Amino acid sequence: MKTKMDFPNINQRKPEGLREDGKPFRVLIVDDSMFVTKQIGQILTSEGFEIAGTASNGEEGLEKYKELYPKVDLVTMDITMPVMDGVTSLEKIVEFDKNANIIMISALGKQDLVKKSLLLGAKNYIVKPLDRKKVLERVMMTLK
Amino acid sequence: MRVEYINPFVEAAFNILTEVLKTEVKRGELYLKSSSMPVLGITAIVGLAGDVEGRVLFDMAENTALEVASAMNGEKIEKNDELTKATITELANMITAQAVTKLHEIGFQFDLTPPAIFTGNNMEVTDVAIEALIVPIQTTFGKIEINVAIREKK
Repeated sequence: MKTKMDFPNINQRKPEGLREDGKPFRVLIVDDSMFVTKQIGQILTSEGFEIAGTASNGEEGLEKYKELYPKVDLVTMDITMPVMDGVTSLEKIVEFDKNANIIMISALGKQDLVKKSLLLGAKNYIVKPLDRKKVLERVMMTLK
Repeated sequence: MRVEYINPFVEAAFNILTEVLKTEVKRGELYLKSSSMPVLGITAIVGLAGDVEGRVLFDMAENTALEVASAMNGEKIEKNDELTKATITELANMITAQAVTKLHEIGFQFDLTPPAIFTGNNMEVTDVAIEALIVPIQTTFGKIEINVAIREKK
């Protein structure tokens, strides 16, 4: 005997990380801090995004982007990193794919590098400390 | 040491800690130390070089570091592992970046080293040629000391 009725949840909203067809947006996180990578990953996966890959410097980020292309919708790119910095990596990714959606992750005080990044083709930027609202706002602004 | 060097660090520490820990943060009385002093257990150090030179330490007991890392990661962290160190490094990065922006705005130009983390018991720090100012910051997770030793380059 059925004792419980399932009502449709009319308040349920579609997570931000899903496309119209229900498939997740795929994100590459490029950051040398394990903490920041985890923080961005947690915020995005909780909204349905898929973390397609992570890289801990700009060079690795460029290689990962080429490897994932075209199945990558967005990149979050730290500015200060060893081996290859985020601005150089951005420049090389944009050379490879001029439509790349790249968001720069900046510490305070790097306004000059943020401006340079925007001129080089970054779509947006976020100044640390990161929080859920700030990250999702900028990500959705970039993907729309 | 001129107090104008330390105020940006105190303000930045207060702002960032309040924002990332989402808890009450109180500034203690600033004090001066010119000889060796013990460090608390987990310490992030950032070097400065340019118009001014020296270093800043962010010093806390291991338990405090674990509580801070837990709050910043949104999960209980029980040992001082790579994630704890990465989290404390990021905290030092954020505070230093905000402080340095203020110092640059008032005309001091200098570069920073990436933070390094020291861990251990019975450690002490000695600044032979620079006096250090210490600002204890009290949080619900324990005390964090901001220890600044900066001088103008001759």
